[in-house]
Amino acid sequence: MSDVTEVVDRTLDDGTPPEPPVQPPGAWRFATPARHTLSNGIELVAYDIPGQYVISVRTVLPFPLSVEPREVEGVASIMARLLDEGTAEHSPEEFAELLERKGIALGASVTDGGLGVDLDVPKRRLAEALDLLRQALAEPVFPEPEVDRHRKTRLAQIEQERALAPQRAAQEFINTFFDGADRASRPTAGTTESISALTRQHIVDFHTERVGPTGMTAVVAGDLTGLDVVTLAEDTLGTWRNASHVPAPPATAPRRAVDAARVVLVDRPGSVQSELLVGWAGPDRHTTTGWAAYPVLGFMVGGSPNARVDAVLREEKGYTYGIRSVFRPRRVGGLFLTSGSVRADATVESVRLLLDLLASGREGFSPEEVRAGVDFISKTAPGRFATADAVADEAVLMALDGLTTDFTTRTLEAMRRLDGEQLTAAYREWVQGEWTIVVVGDASSYADGVRALGVGDVSVVPA
Amino acid sequence: MPLDYPIHEATLANGLRVVVSPDASVPTVTVNIWVNVGSRHEVPGRTGFAHLFEHLMFQGSRHIASGEHFTRLMAEGGRLNATTWFDRTNYFETIPKGAYELALWMEADRHGHLLDAVTQENLDNQRDVVKEEKRQRYDNVPYGTALIEVYAAVFPAGHPYHHPTIGSMEDLDAASLADVHDFFRRYYGPNNSVLTLVGDITPEEGFAAAERYFGHLLPSAEPARPAVPPLEPLADPVRVDRPGHVPNDRLHIAFRLPVDNTPEFFAAGLAIDALGGLSTSRLVQRLVRREQVANSVQAHAMGFVDGVSLGFLVVDVADGQDPEAIEAAVVEELERFVVEGPTEVEMESAMAQSERSWLSALAGQEERADLISQHVLLHGDGQFVNTFLDRIGEVGPDDVRAAASRWLRPESRAVVRHLSVRDEEAVA
Repeated sequence: MSDVTEVVDRTLDDGTPPEPPVQPPGAWRFATPARHTLSNGIELVAYDIPGQYVISVRTVLPFPLSVEPREVEGVASIMARLLDEGTAEHSPEEFAELLERKGIALGASVTDGGLGVDLDVPKRRLAEALDLLRQALAEPVFPEPEVDRHRKTRLAQIEQERALAPQRAAQEFINTFFDGADRASRPTAGTTESISALTRQHIVDFHTERVGPTGMTAVVAGDLTGLDVVTLAEDTLGTWRNASHVPAPPATAPRRAVDAARVVLVDRPGSVQSELLVGWAGPDRHTTTGWAAYPVLGFMVGGSPNARVDAVLREEKGYTYGIRSVFRPRRVGGLFLTSGSVRADATVESVRLLLDLLASGREGFSPEEVRAGVDFISKTAPGRFATADAVADEAVLMALDGLTTDFTTRTLEAMRRLDGEQLTAAYREWVQGEWTIVVVGDASSYADGVRALGVGDVSVVPA
Repeated sequence: MPLDYPIHEATLANGLRVVVSPDASVPTVTVNIWVNVGSRHEVPGRTGFAHLFEHLMFQGSRHIASGEHFTRLMAEGGRLNATTWFDRTNYFETIPKGAYELALWMEADRHGHLLDAVTQENLDNQRDVVKEEKRQRYDNVPYGTALIEVYAAVFPAGHPYHHPTIGSMEDLDAASLADVHDFFRRYYGPNNSVLTLVGDITPEEGFAAAERYFGHLLPSAEPARPAVPPLEPLADPVRVDRPGHVPNDRLHIAFRLPVDNTPEFFAAGLAIDALGGLSTSRLVQRLVRREQVANSVQAHAMGFVDGVSLGFLVVDVADGQDPEAIEAAVVEELERFVVEGPTEVEMESAMAQSERSWLSALAGQEERADLISQHVLLHGDGQFVNTFLDRIGEVGPDDVRAAASRWLRPESRAVVRHLSVRDEEAVA
């Protein structure tokens, strides 16, 4: 009898065909870019991805936030938001109109790694878009009325962030975990005090000293057929010069507070949920024992509804819609964070269970968990990096970290060789029972219960 | 620009509509299923049920254990989920090609044989999970209930869009196993669904796999009801005030719009963009840039199928500014737009941004498959992904003005105001 007949024979009584076998996927590696250094030093990285008709352009300039003057922290973020609000050639409204009429989406932001300016544009408009990008980077004039508006907008945003439980928890976490003398302990985009002190001149000075082509990477990803990307970039971004640009100092490891291992309850009377954020130090991508273990560990512990944390807190107990764990690398050093919201009256029990579940990884992971975690991260890569924007985003993430997407490929290869022992060792290296724990919610209803858990000194702060 | 994504369509004998769109650029396949049931089909006392039901589709079926849908497919490199909205429910995964038949086998099992596995324990657990989802996304968030209040203000009681997809706590509490059985029997079945496959397969492979894994299912769903009669614009303004502990005042200014996938809806959508959806929109220029009385203005159009759609502006009021004066300025701009229509620059900008966002939406297999399923299920139009840009390109400034003068008149607005109350005011 042929194989085909045997398959038909196994069809189930209800007509359901037999479960089909799975064929393993072939080898995959991240797309290989073309590289070229422009005449002004910008490193151009171009990914040709046929069929991607919207071109994604990403420029990044690494610098540590410690280059901001202490009294006007957030100046880098406000500067970034003002790059397209008036240039040497165009008023703010003219510039906005030029972007909109060409179907360009332009955005700029600052992270702990540096400045990023992003642009998405239909292919036929790429040349015009690159010239507008050049103007935004090289020739912003920071009109006083726009500075005033963006300062007010940031102050309003700070109040919005205070009112949102996940953001409020994140703010309290960095304030508790990092040493108060370290830039990392304060919000990237500034505080009410520092933004109120910010003037136009601070922004102009920061742009002059800290933003230039030296050290910048420009990624262009999309269907590049018929485009001479090197010439297009050289004629636009390549003409930018800034003789006043001071190269950024290297990033340094942020200092942890001596009393980081404690519990802070942010009191929001009447909250129907409690937002939990539990974290401690984690590795960065340059860790000598290898980065590959950490995406897998994050997935096994808290990456899906059936990962360790949600298998209990969501699928067994029904306390939460979902809690996620992630190893988040910074330029130097990193964090291991677990966060999510739980029903208010289950707060104490949720904290207790969550800490137990996080500790359980030190005892090891089953072969099934390991296989599923490695396969999920590695086999989803082709789909995760299928579009121009995803490729460009990964490329600049690597560039901000002094790496290329070869690192992405090598990490996936190393991941497939991981076993349970290596993963457990990697987890133990960073998870040793010390945690900074933040809970945002109605503190009066659970403060005593959290104290009774004995998981650290407990303090209560207002929202 | 003309788009030419390949679209191959077939209908199985049991009524399942199947679309295959080959794309060999990535060695994956997206499996996307749309079921013609959403919160618009819910009955009084059972709001939120379509969404709660969607959660139960992950709790096992005849040959699949609870939770296995996630664990098996994720372990093969699948990224998957499901969502529920007013008009429909969708289920989707993107998975390496070598595992897409497993995904189809598992999908067919829950779409054909869910009820064997549903238990009171699973229902109670997922009811709790959904209640936490509601608290996280709506109840414990500043302004989190604003859109729920917009739906209730714009659409009359009993209308399919009057209540939100998330439902109410009381109705979630009331859901029973009998409801689950009735709902599945009425709405789930190949004759009420669309299956789209986008990825590294040929049409022959895709249709054969659809037949192999879904062909034996019976056309068990009841016939879909016809759309409810169209609604006219609101005759008089509606205002809902919600004082509370929010950081600043926020206005939602909402309108009924014509039904989705019509030239009039596309024109109304472009009008909404010209008014508030672009950084150059006239309300952004005036309120945010020039007068600096608002922190931001946003605008959205949501297309629906049951006789009406929804459009709304969101205005974040700057500290110390008067929401009454801002609403009056919006009314003034609406009156002017209704008479003058869009400027040439507004039309060009709205079209250019529509083009880019459409091309971005189609760039990935997941969203492309979802858009194909949507337009086959709700509009019987498999080619929509290729023809949409041409169709909005046919909308002229006069069409936009005409749509605005019918649907965006100030007297047809519903305004939901979330107003910041300081503690000292609350005491007084």
